[in-house]
Amino acid sequence: MPQILDEIEECVPALRRYARALTHNPDLADDLVQDCLERAIRKRALWRPSGTVRSWMFRILLNIYRNDLRRRRRAPHLPLDTLAADPPSLDTQPGRLALAETARAMQSLPMEQREVLLLVAVEEMSYSEAAEVLGIPLGTLMSRLGRARATLRRLTEAGAPKLRSVR
Amino acid sequence: MSREEHKITERDLHAYADGALDGAARAAVEAHLAADPAAAEEVQAWRRQNEALRALYGHVAAEPVPPRLNAPRIDRALRARTIHWSRMAAAAVLLVCVGAVAGWFGREFAGPAPASATLVTEAVEAHRIYATEVRHPVEVWADEREHLQTWLSKRLDRAITVPDLREAGLTLVGGRLLPASNGPAAQFMYEDDTGRRLTLYIIPAQNGRETAFRYAKLEKLEAFFWSDEGISCALVGDMPRNKLREIATRAYEQLE
Repeated sequence: MPQILDEIEECVPALRRYARALTHNPDLADDLVQDCLERAIRKRALWRPSGTVRSWMFRILLNIYRNDLRRRRRAPHLPLDTLAADPPSLDTQPGRLALAETARAMQSLPMEQREVLLLVAVEEMSYSEAAEVLGIPLGTLMSRLGRARATLRRLTEAGAPKLRSVR
Repeated sequence: MSREEHKITERDLHAYADGALDGAARAAVEAHLAADPAAAEEVQAWRRQNEALRALYGHVAAEPVPPRLNAPRIDRALRARTIHWSRMAAAAVLLVCVGAVAGWFGREFAGPAPASATLVTEAVEAHRIYATEVRHPVEVWADEREHLQTWLSKRLDRAITVPDLREAGLTLVGGRLLPASNGPAAQFMYEDDTGRRLTLYIIPAQNGRETAFRYAKLEKLEAFFWSDEGISCALVGDMPRNKLREIATRAYEQLE
């Protein structure tokens, strides 16, 4: 049992990174991770290793995050976009312009695509583990990944401001 | 099949960009890209995206973990809470039991029933109707467990796992979708080796607050009910309370 607690603990840095990338808000991200940890620790007693502890933890985090979004949708006075804070001072240096653009583009990427792309590109999960986390077949994962990359490319290469004015 | 005949798919290109290929597979994609500049350009763009995303978010994992996210500390806090709860449990179960039964019998004159009483009422009604069915107790049988899970998750708009209760001596019969007062409900049915049936009734919850287990007894039937992240559940059966509580704990722990 203490072993699972260790494994849970090892996931924390990655969970924080994923939550931060999903929300772009450090406080909200850590709230999500805290909820996720409480839940995983409370439920660990009967956890059966059908997959890795890591994919289980990410699945819990995503469930909490999605339920959270659902609640926000019902309470429109809490606009989602207050979450969107650009990483600080990224656009001052020319070399970092592309990063700031990517950060902005990530925020307009549909949620499904953002979830997939971050698991693969940042968490460096195998496709099968990412599919397990998201509870979708491998084929669906691949098509979402393809769409995510195409959308991100369009948003960054066409220039996000132009797209915004069209919308 | 010789390697030359292997057609390079979109998936191979992604796997190459993500550094997930090695040896022959990697060489095959490289040969393909050498002959297809447009594909090579696209793969390069994906790699740049990966680098940009890692540069943007990678540093978070290197930050020191704040104390409130310390796993052993959370574990200790949860234990302290559980001990406190178990001391209160006997009294609390009794109180809620009286409350739920009052909600059940006193509906007409006590104003609108609390949500938990509605849940128990509906779960018990559904149990009474379907647990006695011989030929059509469920809509989807246990041999289509995957489908059952996907279907009901979709209809309830929640990620629902069908709990595996075999260790408690219960096999899954199947499940069905039901109309509840506030939208759809899912019912899973289990039975033991004597054919005694137990149902787990689940509705999407409007707020995600978790509650402790609560207990109600309605004539011959006993029910444990609770709310979890995004769902409310009631486990109904004609079984001793301790046994039912143990099963409820198993179900709770498997429902994410």
